[in-house]
Order: sequence, then C-alpha cells, then structure tokens
Amino acid sequence: MNVAPLTPFLIVSGTGVLALLAGLLPAPHRRIAPTLLSVLGLVAAGIVAGFFWGDPDAALSENFTSNRFSVLLTFIFLVATLGALALSWREPAAADKRGEYAGLLMLAAAGMILVAGAGTTIVLFLGIELLSVSLYVLCAIETWRMRSLEAGLKYLIVGAVGSAVLVYGLSFLYGATGTVSLAGTRTSLASGDMLTDPLTLAAIAMIMTGLAFKASAVPFHMWTPDVYDGAPTPITAFMATATKAAAFAGFVLLFSGALVATFDHWKLAVAIIATVTMIIGNVAALRQTGMKRMLAYSGVAQAGYLLIGVATGTHAGIEALLYYLIAYIAMTFAAFALVVQREREIPNGDDIASFAGYGRRRPVAGIVMTLSMLSLAGFPPLAGFVGKFLLFSAAVDADLTWLAVVGAVGSMISLGYYLRVVGVTWATEPATDGSEGRRSPLAVQSVAVIGGLAVIGLSLGASPIVDACRDAAAAIIPL
Amino acid sequence: MPWVTLIVLVPLIGSVLMFVTPRRDSAAAEGAATGFAIATLGLVVVAFTRLDRDNGALQLIDHRSWVRSAGLAWDVGVDGMSIWMMGLTAVLFLLAIFAVIATRPDRTRSFLGLILLAEAGLMGVFAAGDLVLFYISWEAMLVPFALLIWMWGDARRRIAGLTFVIYTMVGSLLMLVAIVATGVLSATGDETFNFSIRELAHTQWSATQSTWLFAAFALAFLIKIPLFALHGWMPLAYGSSPLIVTALMSAVMSKAGVYGLLRIAIPIFPEGAGNLALPISILAVIGIIYGSLIAWQSTSMRMLVAYSSLAHLGFIVLAVMSFNQMAGQSAVLQMVNHGVVTAAAFAMVGILGRVRDGDERIDRLSGLAKGAPWAAGIFLVITMASLALPGSNAFVGEFFMLAGTFQERPVLAVIACFGIVYASVYALRLYQRTMNGPSDEDATVARRAELRSTDVLYLAPLIAAMLVIALWPAGITDSTKAPVEQAYSSCRPSTSLVADAQPGTREYEIATKGLCR
Repeated sequence: MNVAPLTPFLIVSGTGVLALLAGLLPAPHRRIAPTLLSVLGLVAAGIVAGFFWGDPDAALSENFTSNRFSVLLTFIFLVATLGALALSWREPAAADKRGEYAGLLMLAAAGMILVAGAGTTIVLFLGIELLSVSLYVLCAIETWRMRSLEAGLKYLIVGAVGSAVLVYGLSFLYGATGTVSLAGTRTSLASGDMLTDPLTLAAIAMIMTGLAFKASAVPFHMWTPDVYDGAPTPITAFMATATKAAAFAGFVLLFSGALVATFDHWKLAVAIIATVTMIIGNVAALRQTGMKRMLAYSGVAQAGYLLIGVATGTHAGIEALLYYLIAYIAMTFAAFALVVQREREIPNGDDIASFAGYGRRRPVAGIVMTLSMLSLAGFPPLAGFVGKFLLFSAAVDADLTWLAVVGAVGSMISLGYYLRVVGVTWATEPATDGSEGRRSPLAVQSVAVIGGLAVIGLSLGASPIVDACRDAAAAIIPL
Repeated sequence: MPWVTLIVLVPLIGSVLMFVTPRRDSAAAEGAATGFAIATLGLVVVAFTRLDRDNGALQLIDHRSWVRSAGLAWDVGVDGMSIWMMGLTAVLFLLAIFAVIATRPDRTRSFLGLILLAEAGLMGVFAAGDLVLFYISWEAMLVPFALLIWMWGDARRRIAGLTFVIYTMVGSLLMLVAIVATGVLSATGDETFNFSIRELAHTQWSATQSTWLFAAFALAFLIKIPLFALHGWMPLAYGSSPLIVTALMSAVMSKAGVYGLLRIAIPIFPEGAGNLALPISILAVIGIIYGSLIAWQSTSMRMLVAYSSLAHLGFIVLAVMSFNQMAGQSAVLQMVNHGVVTAAAFAMVGILGRVRDGDERIDRLSGLAKGAPWAAGIFLVITMASLALPGSNAFVGEFFMLAGTFQERPVLAVIACFGIVYASVYALRLYQRTMNGPSDEDATVARRAELRSTDVLYLAPLIAAMLVIALWPAGITDSTKAPVEQAYSSCRPSTSLVADAQPGTREYEIATKGLCR
C-alpha cells in the first residue's frame, strides 16, 4: 500500500492534533507552543510536498492522487495557513484558546489538501467537510462576541445546506455512472449514452449549487458578508483565500475533470453564474463602509472572475484560474493584514473611514494598501492585472468574448470602491481621534509587506509561475 | 546599450526614489528629480542621434520575454515619429519640474515622484512595440495624473479625479478586451497570442472585426485627447488640477491619444479606420467650433486655454483621420507645436494669476502691460503662436494640415477654417483684456505679473523651441515622412499590389482604392 503521496496531509493533520494537545500545556507554554508547532508542521509539509512536484502518483487505491495540480494547490493552502497564523500572532482575543485555534486551522488546511488531491468524490467530500467543520468552530471562537457567534451559526447553517446539496448531487452522479472515482466518472461519461440522462443533469446542477455555496458565487453568496464581518479577522483572511482556493479546486476537479464530457451542458450555466457574480459582487461592494464587508463583496466578485476560468473548459482557462488564485491570495492577504493591524490599534479599525490619512503616518502600510487595492482592481503591471489578462485571454480564446467584456465592465465598477480606499488612505484629513494605539507585532506587519512585494513580484517574475500553473493545469486537461 | 529601455526606466527609478528616500531633505529631492529628468532628456537625445530618420521602421529595439506562454514581452523601440513625442515629453516634464521647484507645492517630494511616474508612463506609451506593454504604460500614466488631481486639486478635486478615472477607464478597459481579442484572433501557427504591433500591421481582418476593434481602440484614444462628445471629464479635471498638472495633461498626455491612433489603430485596422473616419472627423470639426466658441466666452484664463486646446486638438484629429500624407506629417509637427505653445500658455496663466493671488478670472485683470512689459512681450509671442499667425511655428502645422485635409474632405476643411478665425478672436481678446486697457491701481500690483528669473527658466526654452520650429519645421517633418507613410500604407492605393491582384477580387479592390476608402 502506497501512502507516500499522503505525507503532506499526514504531517499537517498530525501537527494539527499535536497543536490541540499543546494547548493543554502549562500557562506560559500554551500561548506559544501550538502556533510554533503548526508553523513547523507547515514548513515540513511544504518541503515534503515539493518532492511530489514530478510524476503523478496515487495512494490508497487511487483514492488520493498526487500530481502537479494537487501539489501547487497544497503550496497555496500551506502559504495561506501560514499567513493566517502570522496574522493571529499574539492576537489578544483568543489567547486562552491557542490550542484549538491553531489546531483547527491546521485541520482545515488538511481538509483542503484532501480536496486538491481527491481521487474519488468521497474523498473530495470528506475534505470539504473537514475544512468546513473546522471553520464553523473557528468563526465562532470568540465566544464572548455576539457577532462572532452569529457568524459561526450562520456559516454552519448555510454551509450545512451547501454540503447537503453537494453530497446529494455526488450521490446522483454515482447513481448515473456507477463509480465514485473521478477518473472513472470521466471515462464513463465520455462513453456518451448518459449525457442527457436526467440523473446526470440533476447531479450537475446540484454539484454546481453546492460548490457555488462554498465559493460564495451569486446567488449563493448571502452568507459571505455577515460571516466575513463577524469572524475573527485572521480567520476571515483564511476563508477569503484558502477556502476559496479549495472550492475552486473542487470546481476544477469535478467540472473540468470528471464532468468534462458534459461540457456543453454546464458551460453556459457557469458563464451565467460568473456574470451575475461579477456584477452583483462589484455593485454591492460599492456601498460598503466596513473594510471586511467590502472585501467580502469584492471576494464574491473575484469568485466571478475565477469562474471565467472554469467556464472556458480549456487548459488555458485552468492555467489562468490557478495564476489568478495565487495573485488573489497575495493581494487579499496584504489587505487583511492591514485591517488586522488597524483593528489592533483602534476599536473601530474595520471602518474604511478609520484609514483616513493612514498612509501619511505609516507610509509603508499606505503603499501596501495602494498596491493591494490597485492589484485587486486589475491595474497593470501588478499581479491582479496579469491574472485578469490571462483569464480574459482564455475567455476570448474559448469564444466567450462577451464574458471578457463583462469582466472588463466589472473591473470598471470595482474601481469605484477600490480607489475610494486608496483615496481615503492618502487623504489629508487626520484620523478620527488621532489616537494611534500600540504598533502591531512584526508578524502582522511582515504579512502586509510580503503581500505587497508579492503583488509586484508575481507580475514581474510571472513567467515561472505561469509555467508552473500550466504544468498543474495539464494534470486536469492534458495539453 | 538598451537606450529606449533606459528612457522608460530612468524616470521610473527616479519616481521610486522620491517615495522611498527620507522625507526631510526636500532640496536633495528637488535636485534628484531634476537630475533624473535631465538624464531622460539626455537619453532621448542619444536615441535621436542613433536613429536612422529616413527609415520608417521601429529601431533601437529592445526585446525581452516576460510571460512566455502568454506572449507577453518587454518590447520597446523608437522611430522618426515617436522620437519627437519622447523629446516633447522629456522637455516639458523637465520644465514642469522646474516649475514645481519654483512654486513649491505642499509635499513637493511626492508631487515630483508622481510627475516622474507620469513621465515614465508616457515614455512607455511612446516606446511600446507591444500592445500589452502599451496598455500597461497607458494605465501607468493614468494613476499619477489621477492622484495629482486627487491630492493637490482644488475643492472639487474628488469629483474631478473620479470623473477623470471613470472616463479614461471606460475607454481603456474596453481597449484591454480589444487587445486580447486582437492578440488571440491574429495568432498564427503554434503561438497562442500575437501582440507585436509591427507584425499585427500585416494581419488580414474581416470588415466587421476591423471596424469593432478599431472602435474599441479609438474610443480609449479619443477620450484621452479628448475629442468633442468624449470630453466630459476635461472641464473638471483641467479646472481643478494644479496648473502644472493641467499643462502636462493638455500639452503631453493628450498627444498619447493621437499617437495611439497613428501608431496602433490606423495601421492595424485600416478598414475600420476608413469606416469610422467620417463620424470622427465630423466630431473633430464640431469640437473645433465648439471649443473656440466656449473659449471665446470663458471667464477664466485657464478654461480659455483648455477649450482652445480642445479646438486645436480637433484640427489634429481631423488631419490624422484624413489619411493624407501631408496632413499626417503636419499633424505630428502640430502635436509638438501644440505641446510647446499650450505649455507656455498655461505657464502664462500661472504668471498672470499671481496678480490676484491665484484668481484666474479674466475680468479681474487689466492693463498689466504697463507694470509688466516683459511678461506682456512674451505673452504676445505666445498669443501669436496660439492663433497660428503666419511666421509662427503653429502656422506651418495648421496650414499644411488644412491643405492636406482639403484634398480628402474639402467641406469639413472649409468649416474647420472658421476655427482659425475664432482663435484670433479669443486669443487676442484675452491679450487685450489683460494687458491693455486702463490700469486703475498703482503699478506694484501689475508688477507682480512681471517675469522672475524662475519664470525665465521654463519659459525661455519654450520660446526658443517655438522660434526654432518656426524657422525650420522641416527638421521635424523630414523625419516623420517615413513613419507616417508606414502608418497610412494600407489606407492608400498601392500600385505594386495592383499589378499582382486579379481584377474583381477583394485584393484588387483594396490595391486600387486603399483600405480606408
């Protein structure tokens, strides 16, 4: 029995359990030990995962596969988890729950790795549930705050509905094809006689709905602003990036992989979901006054751009999607790091208005914020631009020019709110009361700076990254 | 040496330095900014001497791959047309930096940084040999101008900045889609995308493709110029920016739009250009008359110059869209002329504005010539150039633009001539109101308008440039001959193609009539 490809998963989930236990250590240790253990686990998993960036491999009778697609996504998840841990460094709020906090974060990451490497629909669902259940708890971990509890409860209810619909759809798919293997489903559907089977069509519709819940695509996005707003900010950053990446891993594995033979049936549906997601996300973000709610709706809109990659059904589409995911994580983490920083300085640090004149007093923070917002808006030559460029190119190449036009219009609308933040950051007016509070720890500041540098670096050094994405995409749709 | 790459990078590096260096020493920042601008100008001069100006092709090319799989590349070069645009940019930005140092706006260092960033963006636009690089530079030019309005503008700066950004982004994002479409549709063989401007000029498009793609590109360019009907952002942006920024937008940024037409939209999509030439020309003529009438009625000196600029740019667009060799060449000459004259005119607005502490209303000024004779003399020279008096530099450009346009579109050319008449009305009216007439106060007030040594620093080069071009316009038009021929090559009938083509086929029709007919 070959379990080697599972090693990154085992390391991450194992350190997750250890971190939970480390939370029971005596007082001075239990504050630091869980986080340090988790960081070590993440680094180790990253090094091990690097060894699998080669020939495809499989474990546990093809239940878990390891190829460049899964390895690339594993890296994305590990980096996002590391970022979330850094943002939670010395977070005063959850100090007495360090063990649960770090442990659940690691278990969520383990679930994501499971999703990316899933060889069967069952493992894929297991991964999604593992990450969802961990996040339900993490959203509500600040138990003394009503908003946090509300976020956890909302996410639990909506997430459970999404999961139920997804698993129902997966069971229909099993009924139609007689196999749970993703590769088997693909060959079975390619034989052709069940393409118009109502069972298959119902399965497609329900799987799409279930994943759209997880990816917060319109019209299943209603939970996003409330949950993002209520959850502890580092968790929000984690959900906005890693969870979204996991949901899109599911999209790619199921739609571009297993269901590719039914492309004609779902192409238009995905394109339409992408269209409404881009438009509604961008329009709703215009009216937000809180950073986290604004970033939540912007995250909805970004899910729409990412769906373009799925809707193309081409190799280039997946490649663009993966690159955009990487760019999106860099720019989103930079933005959230600044929100965390501001929240630790003043009580209402989540308000966009609280950033008034921030760039003048903290020039580095101001520059990072500007880079992040401009990149999210797709300004060249930042990473967000290269990503959008690749996505739009893929769309035009796949005869979906209208989708690229919608994307361009969406980007235009998005300027309204991204530039507002930039304007506020550099405005002349001083902050509301001038109180600065204490500086946030180096870990938080470095996430912001690294995110800002990555926004530039991912663009200027885009060639190797795009090549890696191309290799990863080849694991799903061979060139 | 990659000269053209350096022309783009030097101001960019200067700009970054402005933001990262410690903020205390503003004199050092001013010196450094001047140094970088002078270095850029020096590099442009070097490129000029190394250029073969009889050759229409892009030269001194520097090509480096960026994202190989997506066909993105750093690809820059220069030819006899873009070198003049770069020269204009380098000179006017250097003078703008002098003016910044003389006026010392709040937060001088950031101001200089943004100015240098805008210069880098414009240089990128003029140097780009690749559509995506062109787009990146195009956007890189938008950000600093928007921020300059946003942070240093007057009370209406927020709405002015936002209007400016929205107008230009509407154009440029559609241009981005058009660039992607162009790259995908023109790809041949095993490559996925083709963004090279040089290669795209030989692509065969269907009439529909050509028209739509031209429209998307032209929209972005015409908004930036701005053409009448797309100029909604102009009054606010020009009205509420710091004067230096207004001068740069009107004198240099607007040229990027015209340059885009000549470099990209017309050569790559000649058939689409031909189909849309008439409506664009009509709008240009309306712009000439409309701009002149509004300038005539303006109560503020700044808006008078702004609207006169709208009218003058209408002439340039009309000439460019006539696809006539003489008109095209003089349009490039006139782009340089207009840049120099407009910059000088805005400088004059600033000087006269000192009399009433920045109040730019015309009716507040009168009889300044008595107290400020030197300023009056220089202002008269600028006024004469602005209304294209024979003997001035603008006369050569306007005359040949109209003569060339007349061969293709006689009716529109005749109507446009009225614009010249109006130009003398509003320009002389401004001079007469401010300089002549009764001076009811004591001479010390008027003396505030007299030229200072710092004013001479940026006015003298402009006046000198006007004189040189007036005496020797061929210096510019000779080197633009080949590039403009290249730009219009598919528009004109081609005798060599007629010989090859079969009568009755599409190729034959194109060869005999040209794609723009």
